[in-house]
Amino acid sequence: MLKRLILVRGAEIALFIVLGAVPLVVQSPYALGLLTLLAIYGIVLIGLDVTVGYLGQINLAQVAMLGLGAYVAGIAATRYGVGIPLALVLSGLFCTAIGALLALPALRLEGPQFALATLSFTALCATALNELEWLTNGAQGLQITRPLLLGHALDARAFFWLCIAILAIVWLAMRNLMSSQWGRAFEALRDSPIATDAIGVGTYRHRVAGFAFGSGLGGAAGALYAFNFGYLQPQTFVYELTVILLLGVVLGGRKSLWGAVIGAMLVALLPNLLSSHLVFRAFSGIAFVLALVAGVRGLVRRKTDAFRALAPIVATFTLAAGSFLASNTEDWRKAIFALMLFSVVVGLPEGLMGFAAAALARLFRVAPPALPPAAPLDAVLPVRAPDGSVLLRLDGLSRHFGGVRALDGVDLTVKAGTIHGLIGPNGSGKSTLVNVVSGLYAPSGGELRLRGAALRGGSLMAAAKAGIARTFQNLQLFGGMTALDNVMVALRGAWRVPLPLVLLGLGRLEEWRGRAAALALLEFVGLGSEARTRAADLTYGAQRFLEIARALARRPELLILDEPAAGLAQPDILRQLEIIRRIRQRGITMVLIEHHMDVVSELCETVTVLDEGKVIAEGPPAQVKRDPKVITAYLGAPEPGAAIAASAPAPVTGAP
Amino acid sequence: MLTVTDLHAGYGLSEVLVGTSLEVKPGTIVALIGANGAGKTTTMRAISGTITPTRGEVRLGGSRVDGLGAARIARLGLAHSPEGRKVFGPLSTEDNLLLGGFRWLPHFFGFRRQARQALERVYDLFPRLAERRAQLAGTLSGGEQQMLAIGRALMAQPKIMLLDEPSMGLAPVIVQEVFRTIRRLKAEGMTMLLVEQFASAALAVADHVYVMERGRVAVSGTPEDLRRDPRVLAAYLG
Repeated sequence: MLKRLILVRGAEIALFIVLGAVPLVVQSPYALGLLTLLAIYGIVLIGLDVTVGYLGQINLAQVAMLGLGAYVAGIAATRYGVGIPLALVLSGLFCTAIGALLALPALRLEGPQFALATLSFTALCATALNELEWLTNGAQGLQITRPLLLGHALDARAFFWLCIAILAIVWLAMRNLMSSQWGRAFEALRDSPIATDAIGVGTYRHRVAGFAFGSGLGGAAGALYAFNFGYLQPQTFVYELTVILLLGVVLGGRKSLWGAVIGAMLVALLPNLLSSHLVFRAFSGIAFVLALVAGVRGLVRRKTDAFRALAPIVATFTLAAGSFLASNTEDWRKAIFALMLFSVVVGLPEGLMGFAAAALARLFRVAPPALPPAAPLDAVLPVRAPDGSVLLRLDGLSRHFGGVRALDGVDLTVKAGTIHGLIGPNGSGKSTLVNVVSGLYAPSGGELRLRGAALRGGSLMAAAKAGIARTFQNLQLFGGMTALDNVMVALRGAWRVPLPLVLLGLGRLEEWRGRAAALALLEFVGLGSEARTRAADLTYGAQRFLEIARALARRPELLILDEPAAGLAQPDILRQLEIIRRIRQRGITMVLIEHHMDVVSELCETVTVLDEGKVIAEGPPAQVKRDPKVITAYLGAPEPGAAIAASAPAPVTGAP
Repeated sequence: MLTVTDLHAGYGLSEVLVGTSLEVKPGTIVALIGANGAGKTTTMRAISGTITPTRGEVRLGGSRVDGLGAARIARLGLAHSPEGRKVFGPLSTEDNLLLGGFRWLPHFFGFRRQARQALERVYDLFPRLAERRAQLAGTLSGGEQQMLAIGRALMAQPKIMLLDEPSMGLAPVIVQEVFRTIRRLKAEGMTMLLVEQFASAALAVADHVYVMERGRVAVSGTPEDLRRDPRVLAAYLG
C-alpha cells in the first residue's frame, strides 16, 4: 500500500517538480516558450485522450476547440478587459457547450463517419475564424496583450509556472474522474455499448459528456495558448496541427495521463530539437538501435511476427540514414514525423507509455490497493417477499422484421417469485421476445406491462430503470475491465456524488462502498477470489457467472437469463443451477431461456413453448414435455441406440 | 492422419495448453471433452493455426504444420468449424459455402465446376441450406447457421474436420440432426476431431475420447473405457 503510494504518487510529484524547476536552469526566452507550449499541449492532449483513448473514437476537432478557446479568450481580454482566470473559465465553458452541441449529432455516428464529422467541424471553424473579420480580425491575425493575473503582470517565467499549475490541476481532476464511476462507464461503453445501456448506465449520454469535457479542456488550453503567443491566426488551427495532436496521443500512449504529457513533450519539443543536425542524428541513431534490439529480441523469443518486428527497424533505419544524408533536416520535418508515427504505430501499438507501463509493472511489482470486506448481502440484494401477483404481462406482443413475423401475438404472464421457462426451436422467437422485453427492440404491436404499468418499448435504458435486468446468450461482458469493475459499473443507486465533486476527489467514500457491495455479489456467485481478474481472462464458466452478478447489481425485479448453461460443462452446469436457486430464494423473478431440458425441468414452475413466433404450449415442465406438438417441434424423438440431448446429460438432482 | 505432440499455446502471457498430445486415425471420430477452461477450444485453435503454438508439434498426414498459419494449414486439408459458428452474416448462404471452397491457383480455372459438385454434396447433406441458398447467413436460425458452418468446412473437401461445439445453443431436435450428420459423414469416411459439452452425445459417436484437464490430457480411451472410469463418470456424465 505504502510502496504503491510512494512509487506512483512520487513519480507524479517528481515530474511536476522537475518541470517547475526547469526555468531556474534554462533562461532563454525561446526555450521557455517551448516549455510553456509543452504544458499547454499536455492539457489539450489529456482532453483529446478522453475521446481517442477512453471512447475509442478518432477525434479531429480538438484543434478547433483549441482555436475557439484561444479566440474567445483573446477577444474577451482585448475587447472587454477580462482577466486570466475568467478568460480560462469562459473559454472552457464555451468549448464544453460547443463540444456538446457537436457531439449530439456526431456521436450517433461511429468510426470513420465520426472522424469525418469532426474533420468537417474543424474546417468550418477555421473558415469562420477567417471570415468573421469584424470579430476576429480575419487573416491579418489578432494581437493580444497578456492580461493581469489578480492585478499582477506575468513575465514569461511566471506564465510558464501558471501553465504547469493548471496542467497539474487538470491531471488531478482527470485522475479523480477516471477512477470514478465515470471512468468505468467510459471503459464499459467501449467494450459493449449494448450491455452499457442494459445496465442502465447510458452509452450515448456518457459519450456526449466525455466529448464535451475533453473539448472544454481543449478550450481552456486555448486561452493559455492565446496568452502565451500574444498573436492568433486562423490558419494555425487546421489540419497540420490536427495530425500533430493525434500523433501526440498515439505516440505517448492512450488512456494515460503520463502518455498525454510525454506525447506533448514529443510534439512540442521534437520539431525544434530536430532542427539541430547533431541532436537529430543522435536521436535517430538511438531510435534505430532501440528498434533493432527490441525487434531481434521479439523475433528470438517468438513473441512477435516478422512484420511487426521488422517494420520499425526499417523505418528507424531510414530515419537514421536520412539524418546523415539530408543537408537540411528542417525541410524534412513532416517526413520524419511520418516515419516516426509509422514505426510507433506498428512497433508499439500501445504507445510509449503503454510499452513503458508494462515494463515498469514487471520491474516494480506493486500490490494493488486492498479491497474492503464484502458488504452484507442483505444490504446489497434485499430479499423480496414474493406475493404471487403478476409481475410481467404480455398481451398480443408482436415484432416483425420486414416480412418475417418473429413474434406473432404472444400472450404471456409471469408471476412474481417464480422461474418461468421459455423454450422452442432455434428461430422460434425466444431471443426476439427477450430482446423486446428488455428494450433492445421496439414491439411492432401489442402491450408490455410490468407490475401493471405499461413499459415504453424499444429502450434498454427504460427497461433497466423499470427493474428489468438480463444476461446475454453470447456474453456481453466488459472484457478489458476486472470482474469487480464489471459489477461496480452496474450498481444501482450507488453513484450519487455530482461530477464537480468527483473532479475534486470527493467520490472516494462512495467508491469504497461500491467495492464492498460489488464484492458481496461476486461472492454470491462464487467469484470472490477472482475480483481482480480481467473479465476476458476468466474461464468461460466464470464469465457466465459474472454476467449474472452484474445483472444482480441492478437489484432487478425481473431477471432474464438467456441460455445461462449454453456451452457449460457438467460441473459448471451444476454450479449455475445452484446460483439460480439462490437467486430465487431472494425473491427475484426470472425468465429462463434454455435448451438443456433437464435444467428447465429442474428449475421452472411454468414453461412456455414458442414455435414460429406463437405460443404452442404452456404449463408445468412434466406436462409440456409430453405434449406431442412440443415433441415434434422441439424435443424430437430419441433415436434408438443413441443417447442424445433430450434425455442426456444425466439427472441433476442432488447438486452440491 | 493428425498427430499432436506436447503442444503448448496460450493468449498473451497466460499459457492455456501445457503439453497436450493426441492422435486422430484416418476415418475415425475423436472426441475432446472436459471442463470449461480446460483448453479444448485452444487445442483446436492451435491445431488449425488460428493461434500459433509456442512449443510442440502438429503433424498432418506426416508433415509438420505447426507455425504455418491458418490459411496454409486449411489448404493442406484441415477444415475448422469454430465455436459459435462465425458465419459471414452479410453474405448469402450460397456465398458462404462458395467461400469455404475457394482456392487460388492452381484450381482457379476449374473453380466453378468443382465448387458446383461440392455444393451439391452439401445441399444433399443439408436440404435446408438449399432452401435458404439466397438468404443472408446472418438471418438464419442458430441451427441453420450451425449446418452452414459445417457445410462451409466441407466445401474445402478436407481430409480432416475440426468441429468445435456443434450443439451449442441448439434445440434438442436440431442437436439430434447435427449428430445424425456427423454419423453420416463418418460413414462416408470423413475423419473428425470433435469438441462437445454433451459428453454423452460425444461418446455415442466417438471411436476414441480424450478428457482434458488444466491444459493437458488427463484420461483417454475408448468410450466404453471411459463409461467405466468412475472419475469421468462423476465429473462429466453425472
